[in-house]
Formats: sequence, structure tokens, C-alpha cells
Amino acid sequence: MRPIVRLLSTLLGLAFAAAGALLALEVGWHWWRPGSGPLLVPWPRWQAELASLGWDAYAVRVGAGVLAAAGLVLLLCALAAKSRAVRLTDPADEVSVSTSPRSLARLVGLVVRAQDNVAGATVTASARRVRVRATSRLETEGELRPRLLETVATLLDGVPLARQPKVTVVVDSPKDRR
Amino acid sequence: MSSSVAAKALSRSYAGERVLTFVVGLLALLGGALALVVGAGWLGEYRGRRPLLDPMAVDWLGGHATPARIAAIVLGVVLLVLGLRWALRSLRPEPRPDLDLDTTEGAELVVTAGAISGAVQADAEQLDGVSRARVRAVGSRTSPALRITLYLYEGTDLKRVWEDLDLRVLTRARESLGLDVLPTAVRLELDTSQAKRVR
Repeated sequence: MRPIVRLLSTLLGLAFAAAGALLALEVGWHWWRPGSGPLLVPWPRWQAELASLGWDAYAVRVGAGVLAAAGLVLLLCALAAKSRAVRLTDPADEVSVSTSPRSLARLVGLVVRAQDNVAGATVTASARRVRVRATSRLETEGELRPRLLETVATLLDGVPLARQPKVTVVVDSPKDRR
Repeated sequence: MSSSVAAKALSRSYAGERVLTFVVGLLALLGGALALVVGAGWLGEYRGRRPLLDPMAVDWLGGHATPARIAAIVLGVVLLVLGLRWALRSLRPEPRPDLDLDTTEGAELVVTAGAISGAVQADAEQLDGVSRARVRAVGSRTSPALRITLYLYEGTDLKRVWEDLDLRVLTRARESLGLDVLPTAVRLELDTSQAKRVR
């Protein structure tokens, strides 16, 4: 999301610059030569159209809806572009350490898959939460889940994370369906 | 905590871009919603039927032609300058500042960003459990910092890498540069590759 916001910000900047340049140019030109036509933007035609269009016209409502939707998309993009790095405790003054959520998930995934009776596992991680979804053919959720929770908690205790994430474990086992 | 130089060096700041995008998005959303409200007639039946380019507003502008024109031109120039500055700021790559070790006149000493990254990178790649390291100078000339990305092998003991990094790499860099503090941000990528030996 971050490159998208950088791109959006560049495009918005350029759009504002272009609009500002056109505004200054047209107003200045019209002031200097009131008799001659517009320079680049056919604004007298736009003026006539806008003057005949009411606020309740269909085109205006659609345009307003599109504008609001585009604004909402921009808002969400800006909010989603936050840093997702997982902070670790600072080992010394003026040294800061972070890791990627993917690294943390990989670390947890390796340990979970190494456990007995775990057929497979998917892990998603963020600074606040680690979600483990394991599959097992031999053990039920009730048997395996406490063990996995404990394993992951022990592992995370060994990693100097700045804040301990909440761990959730779900076990998917055919034995539970019988 | 997040205001320290080392914490800022962890990743490139997106604050400016995010704020601009957020504000423009918010204005567009509010403007669109307001236009919808006016069009739906919630601000009065007759307001909704008036034209977009209101004759009252046009008359008022016609009555104050000169100030309106000056204001429009000033607004246009300001938008042009700010917009261009913003676009350039967003497009500019993250700077790699050189390190000013001595600013005494006649005896200036500057370590280039490339030199220091190369030296620290070579040191960091010697550590046990590190498969690859990437180092670059970040920040500004007045408050430079190092950003080190370490790619660790699977099963590497995190705490040992930690200590080794501080004792062997960073301390050495500080000592050889003669600095008391060298703000550093470390990014760890864990378990990036299998520990394979090719003989």
C-alpha cells in the first residue's frame, strides 16, 4: 500500500500544480485581454453549462457520488499505508530493531510444524496478534491446542518483542467431526 | 520513543504522503457528501433547484472583480508551487547522507555514505547465522543514521546475533569513526534461506 500512496501523492501534487497554473493563466489572460477568447480551457462554455445545471440534476448527483467515493478510497489508502513492522526491544541506546510480520510468521510456523501430530499449519502475524491454524489427523483440537499455545508462547518469550502479541490457535482435525 | 533518530531510521517516513492523501480524500468525501445533501433538497427545497453557478455568487464576484482576480491568480500560483514541491518530494529517492566527522574549517573530514555502508556490511556478513546483509545511510546530513537489514539463516539464535552485532559490528564502526553514538536501525529478516553449504 505504501508505494501506492507515494504514487497517489505525486499525482495529486501534479494535479494541484496543473490546476493552479491553469487558473492563474486564464484569469491573468482574461484580465489582460478581456475581448479575446480563452487560452486553453473553454471556460465560457463551462460557465454557461454550470449556470443551466441545478444542484438536483442527475449529472450533479452522480458526480458528487463519484467524488465522495474517490475521497473515501484515498482516505482508506492513506490509513492502510501505516508501517507494519514488528518492533523488538532496543538492545542499546540509539539502536532500534524491527522485523517483518512475515519473518515472525515464518518463525512461528517452523516451530508449530515441527510439533508431533501436526500435518500442516498456516500462520499470520502482526505486532499485536499471531494467528495459527493447524491441521492434524491424529489429535483433536482439545488435545493439541493447549500444547501448541504453550509452544508458541515459549517461542515468543525467547524473542525480545517490544509487545507480546496475542496468540490464537485453531486446530482443524477430522477427529473432531466424528 | 518513536521520535529517536534510530527509530526513525527503521523505515522511510510516509507521514507527509499519508497526510496529503488523507486530507485530499477527506475534502473530496465531505465536498461530495455536501453536494449530495444540497441536491437532495435537505438544505431547503429551493436551494436544491438553484444552478451550480449561482447568479448571486457571480454578481458578487462581478462587483469585486479586481480583488477576486488577484486572489485567483495568487491562489493559482500558490497551488502550482506547493503542488510541484509535493510531487518532487514524493518522487525523490530517500537520501543517503555522508557523515561529517570533522567540520573544523581547513580540516574537514567526510565519510561518504557508500564507504561506511560497505565497511559495516562486510563486518555484518561475517557474523554467524547471517546469510546476507544490506547497509545504507539514511536520515539527513545533520542527523545521519545507519539502516542495517540482516537476513538470518533458519534456526539462528536471535540473542547471539544481537550481541554479536552490538559488540563486533556497531562498536567497531563507532570506534573507527570516533563517534560516541551512531544511531542505527536494524531490520531482521528471519529464516530467509536454508543453511546450505556448497563444497
